[in-house]
Amino acid sequence: MEIFLQLLITGILVGSIYALVALGWTLIYKCSGVLNLAMGELTLIGAYVCLTFYHWGIPFVLALFFTLVIGFILGILTEIIFLRPMVGEPHLAVIMVTVGLAFFFKGLVMLIWGTDTVVFSPPVFPIQPVFLGKVVVGQVFLWAFVASIILLVAFVSFFKFTKWGLSMQATADDEMAALSLGVNAKVVYALAWAIAFMAAGVGGTLLGNINGLNISVGYLGLLVLPAVVLGGLNSIPGAIVGGLVIGILQNLADGYLSRFTPGGVKEVFPFAVMVIVLLFKPYGLWGWVRIERV
Amino acid sequence: MSYRPCGNYHQYYKQDHAWWQTKFVWGKMILLFIAVFYLFPQFAGMYLISIANVVGYTILSAMGVQLLIGYCGQVTLGHAAFLAMGAYTCTLLMLQLHIPYPIAMVMGGIVGGLWSVLFGLPSARVKGFYLIMTTMAAQFLTVEFFITQYVSQIGGRGVAFSIPPGAVKIGPWMIKDDKDVYYLMVILVVLLTVIMANLVRSKIGRAWIAIRDNDIAAETMGVNIVLYKLLAFFVAGFFGGIAGAFWVTSLAAVSPEHFHFGWSLWLVGVILIGGVGSIHGTIFGALFMTLIPEGLKFLIFVLTQNPVFVDIMPFLPLLLEKFLFVKEAAFGLAIALFLIYEPNGISYRWWQIKNYFNLWPFSY
Repeated sequence: MEIFLQLLITGILVGSIYALVALGWTLIYKCSGVLNLAMGELTLIGAYVCLTFYHWGIPFVLALFFTLVIGFILGILTEIIFLRPMVGEPHLAVIMVTVGLAFFFKGLVMLIWGTDTVVFSPPVFPIQPVFLGKVVVGQVFLWAFVASIILLVAFVSFFKFTKWGLSMQATADDEMAALSLGVNAKVVYALAWAIAFMAAGVGGTLLGNINGLNISVGYLGLLVLPAVVLGGLNSIPGAIVGGLVIGILQNLADGYLSRFTPGGVKEVFPFAVMVIVLLFKPYGLWGWVRIERV
Repeated sequence: MSYRPCGNYHQYYKQDHAWWQTKFVWGKMILLFIAVFYLFPQFAGMYLISIANVVGYTILSAMGVQLLIGYCGQVTLGHAAFLAMGAYTCTLLMLQLHIPYPIAMVMGGIVGGLWSVLFGLPSARVKGFYLIMTTMAAQFLTVEFFITQYVSQIGGRGVAFSIPPGAVKIGPWMIKDDKDVYYLMVILVVLLTVIMANLVRSKIGRAWIAIRDNDIAAETMGVNIVLYKLLAFFVAGFFGGIAGAFWVTSLAAVSPEHFHFGWSLWLVGVILIGGVGSIHGTIFGALFMTLIPEGLKFLIFVLTQNPVFVDIMPFLPLLLEKFLFVKEAAFGLAIALFLIYEPNGISYRWWQIKNYFNLWPFSY
């Protein structure tokens, strides 16, 4: 029972980071219909940028803030240069542009920062674990959870209460109607990418704090795909719940199933879950069901 | 479809069905065959031949992807999984059961095909993006889990899959160096291209194209879409398995790293750059994607040798040292730019040029 609780809580804490990244992903899909396969590389870039700032001696909170700013700029640039010419092109072409971006960003990251694992030194968070009842949790996880929740709340309230957030919702709902009501779709798309970059950057930084930073953090970014499929592609609550569930399932699988296999369950279990979800509930928990007519 | 030269008429259906319709095409193809089978291996150095082998392997692997994406409209991002199944099956049969290489290769193809059908099953229910996710899951479940954790362990880690020199032979012909691999590669490429081209212009191929263009309309026209989608997955997986089994010949040892996720994406990139829905496109894409990085590497190498350039651009030696990453970034940029500025791929340009000269000088 204690093991179960331990796994569950760790899962929720890690899952909150996935939820943050998944939120960014869903946002792009909702607003512009682009399926972004470069999410892992966005997390990488954010993480390395933050690490660089931190190693320059800038305090962590400030470094994180600069990462957000840089993410914002990079997101808008990416949208203008690569995604804007693709508006109205076939879906596969747009997806493959993001695959191209993934390779491009990954190549650049490896070129600039190398492939060795680097850690935040001195460590950002104290190493001593925290005891929640009988459950032991590293402080990194706890702070990551707090940061993710703050950002999640910030982003969700941005959608609910600000003018730009509302225009993003309107574009997601019906692009034509939004355009005719005077919503500037270009700004909305650029904003969606900027927010995705920011969310991914913070997610990457937090993941990098947990295990050290190398190219495999980008693989963790791929885990948002099972999360969003589980939640339904165009549902923001779905992305958050999906991220948490994937985090929990991953940890439970690691705890209970890895003794039956030679290893590697933790990495593939989310994808196995994804296939099963796709078979039985292809539109996820809260996704829009599309009826296709000829 | 391309236009025939001026004043060239067909009188029989047989002429219409012929592969090589004019004397010019006959001459061109014979020259091509002489060049590929005799001149190139005779006069090219070992380095060029090894590059040609990579091109051939890319063509073989991308052919299945072309079939699925270009002709049947089923996007796959996990094709390396089927290559891996083919390669591992072939190696296991060959080394553990001592089955002759050609039979092992075909068995590898069949296992690859069946594996592909297994992950193509969801295509009966889902399509588009959701299918992309399923095939991606195929990649991770097969290569990262099934093969890395289970199959590689057979006979102790790494022992069963190192291929001793001279183990691969077809009858009396022992495939021992790059030149032998080259001949095998050329034969396989020609064979698979012919099979693919004939499939595509048969009833099966027309059904696939109908599914690609509009699956619901195809169903109302009486195409059994589940059957034909699964058939497409089988044939694509079969091609993939053959490609994997072929690549065994030029590897010292088979390992999961040869079939990682990046390679699956690379194959999709190859057909996008070459041209989707065109067999020429596969070949052009493979050539482009292999030769451009090699050319780039050569260029950087030459520039580094000259101190003048190194003074101007002090980052050059670093680029050469980390060329793998430069290649990856260049590949990504190439895909993105091709899709933005040349969405029909190289084969479309080729088609335009060919038709221009076919109708020259009266192009109207």
